[in-house]
Amino acid sequence: MSERPVHEYIRELSRALVQLSEKVLSNFDAALEAVRHQDVEAARKIRRADDEINLAEVRLEEQCLAFLALQQPVARDLRTIVTIIKINDDLERIGDLAVHIIERMPELGSEIMDRYEFDRMGQVAGDMVRKSIDAFVKRDRHLADEVCKSDEQVDTMHRLVFRQVAEVMKKDGSNTEQLLAVLSVSRYIERMADHATRIALEVIYQVTGEIVRHSDDAFEKLIQSLRD
Amino acid sequence: MSASPDTKQTSAVTVRDIYLPPERKKVSGGGVPHVSAKNFSIYYGDFEAVKKVSADILSKYVTAIIGPSGCGKSTFLRSINRMNDLIPNCHTTGSLMFDSQDVYGKFTDEVLLRKKIGMVFQKPNPFPKSIFDNIAYGPRLHGIRDKKTLAGIVEKSLRKAALWDEVCDRLDKNALGMSGGQQQRLCFARTLAVEPEILLLDEPTSALDPKATAKIEDLIQELRGSYTIMIVTHNMQQASRISDSTMFFYEGVLVEHASTAQLFTNPKDQMTEDYITGRFS
Repeated sequence: MSERPVHEYIRELSRALVQLSEKVLSNFDAALEAVRHQDVEAARKIRRADDEINLAEVRLEEQCLAFLALQQPVARDLRTIVTIIKINDDLERIGDLAVHIIERMPELGSEIMDRYEFDRMGQVAGDMVRKSIDAFVKRDRHLADEVCKSDEQVDTMHRLVFRQVAEVMKKDGSNTEQLLAVLSVSRYIERMADHATRIALEVIYQVTGEIVRHSDDAFEKLIQSLRD
Repeated sequence: MSASPDTKQTSAVTVRDIYLPPERKKVSGGGVPHVSAKNFSIYYGDFEAVKKVSADILSKYVTAIIGPSGCGKSTFLRSINRMNDLIPNCHTTGSLMFDSQDVYGKFTDEVLLRKKIGMVFQKPNPFPKSIFDNIAYGPRLHGIRDKKTLAGIVEKSLRKAALWDEVCDRLDKNALGMSGGQQQRLCFARTLAVEPEILLLDEPTSALDPKATAKIEDLIQELRGSYTIMIVTHNMQQASRISDSTMFFYEGVLVEHASTAQLFTNPKDQMTEDYITGRFS
């Protein structure tokens, strides 16, 4: 099989995507860290880093669109470019979630972060994103499947936070604003895991050509989560 | 009060139309095997140029044939109306059916066969005659002499080939004075004049500029649904733009035959994948 410059270019676009994912993940970790330490300076840096993420996302999308128009890829190449465009979008949204988290900083602190185990939850969700990007690079369907399965773990953690908050709210004199912030952060981390799952599903499309996004399985999962 | 044309148009659009690109709409009365090959091989002397091909070409749809030079795609195309008969030492084995007629059967009249299965070639090849006589040539050959009938056929054929508006006031002018794109559409009109059922197109746009190519591609879309069309092309984008199904040939073997959407997004065979993504060594 002979490689051509166009395939080297697809690899360059893939590398740009991996770089973007690294930036997004480190910004997300930094956001949780900033909230824990109430570090306003770090929060500013995270805001600025998100601007860079947005620029990188737009640039990568432009490059992919130009590639589609100029090279008209087909088969595996087409699926890879489409997958890059979609993952790019998911990463940018994860970037936004980091900013949403630091916006909740005034109501939170290290004590709250520990009580609701946000670091652990963030760790699991972050690992899911890392794994899903790894699956993209290696075209590894099994790894993508693993990411999809991990989503349940984060959902369970989110539901636990929800129940804990509901319990506290029933007591008199609870700090409603703080509790709402807790729910929001939990939701943001859970959404990051959802984005990781979407990325994994996109990788499955890239590898197999099959769109499995709306399978019956997903519906069953939803029903199950409602029962829980 | 009569409905305005706009209202009529809106009511005619179904949900299905919205989800299917217009050029890929289902063809009514089409989709049955029009040409069927079974273990069909073509030899030049001892050399097996097309190897045991089995495939059904569906009626009224566009089938593209792709593959590297020398893979047998043109040979296969030309075998369908027995153009290969003109090549010495060319013979076939297996079966090739056109509807219920055996193309290579003892009693097959190849002149009648070629009336039903017309062909347009890579280079436009109008006769050095007037535009009118080019189109009327086939019908005359088949015995039509009445001037009014011939004029009717000429107009109808030129209209079908989207050429009438450009040449209706100079039908008596020599066809060689037309542009390359016009000459190629004239060849389409000449083929259509004898009312064929199948059109075989052997790289019909490879000698044309992008504008003329676009016109021919639009024309193929127009004719789709009325004729079974098979097109050999080296232009992969062209195959993906205009065809419903695609056959990929390699070294005489039909490697993959699938819907064009399937073949160009998720081919089943690694060789097809390598060829269409340009990874072929």
